[in-house]
Amino acid sequence: MRLRPWPSIVVVLAAALIALLTYGLVTQGPSRALDSAIAKHVYLPAPDASRPLPVLDRVDATTASLHRWRGRIVVLNFWAQWCSTCIDEVPLIERAQRALVKSGEGTVVGVDYKDISSYARGFIAAHGLSYPNIRDGDGSFAAAYGTDALPETFVLDRHMRVVAISRGEVPSEAWLQGAIAFAKRV
Amino acid sequence: MRTRVAVPLLAALALAAPAAPAFAAIPKTSLHAIEVQVMCVTCGIPLQVAESPAADQERQFIQALVNQGKTATQIKQALVADFGSAVLDLPPDKGFNVLFYILPIVFVLAGLAILTILLPRWRRNRRPPPPAGPTGGGVSQADAERLEQDLKRYDP
Repeated sequence: MRLRPWPSIVVVLAAALIALLTYGLVTQGPSRALDSAIAKHVYLPAPDASRPLPVLDRVDATTASLHRWRGRIVVLNFWAQWCSTCIDEVPLIERAQRALVKSGEGTVVGVDYKDISSYARGFIAAHGLSYPNIRDGDGSFAAAYGTDALPETFVLDRHMRVVAISRGEVPSEAWLQGAIAFAKRV
Repeated sequence: MRTRVAVPLLAALALAAPAAPAFAAIPKTSLHAIEVQVMCVTCGIPLQVAESPAADQERQFIQALVNQGKTATQIKQALVADFGSAVLDLPPDKGFNVLFYILPIVFVLAGLAILTILLPRWRRNRRPPPPAGPTGGGVSQADAERLEQDLKRYDP
């Protein structure tokens, strides 16, 4: 009987590749600590809330930390100029900002993620964003939120605790309004 | 009339021609030269092999600076200003990270080897079967019965 080594070699190579990918996912995957906590109705403090980040727009300072908005509801929206889905959700985020400003209860804070700053400023101007935006050039602030894909949105209550998360595009206006309403009463 | 228009036009062109190079910056480096030295920070892989909207944005930015006549050092400084030093952190070519460089080559070679072995087999298998001969199974029921009767006739 003739021995055929190739199928075995292919299987071994495939197994090695899967093992390598699994190792990569386990060791380098984004943190989901905030999501797990919310699932248990535990609301953790917003990570890196006191860390100053460069300001892009609408803050009269060169750097700002989230603590600047302590005592208010904050809708933290991670975006980038190169992210097409981020453009899709701009109108919804902008409407949320107008409602929050009108009620005086909070604000949207945009976080520009791993972007060219001049392009990011162009995005703000092109889409007429009326909320403050800060920059996370190296993505380390986003990493603290387990963010490695865009867009992602976190709703913080007045005590700077994360009470709702949308990984990916905000599912609907109702979801965002519900999350903001929840942040007001939690 | 035609001459009166043409003379000032030619004069204007003559004046503009030597002035043009003064506005166009001479590239001191190229997109490719920078691509091999920096990371796509969003993808986490060297920019030269990255395919994503973020990588395209980074390339567009580099190309714009190349067109402005910036040097490689100036371009890398601009990238560091926006992305931090991580943009220069190409994976070191030692230890476990050596896989970043070796694996793509290994996969390409393995793919070629598998194709070299399997392709002739697939081609052999896809050849149409030879037409059925006189003893093949292509005889209809009626012909088979007729043949049987003919054979019986010649039996002693």
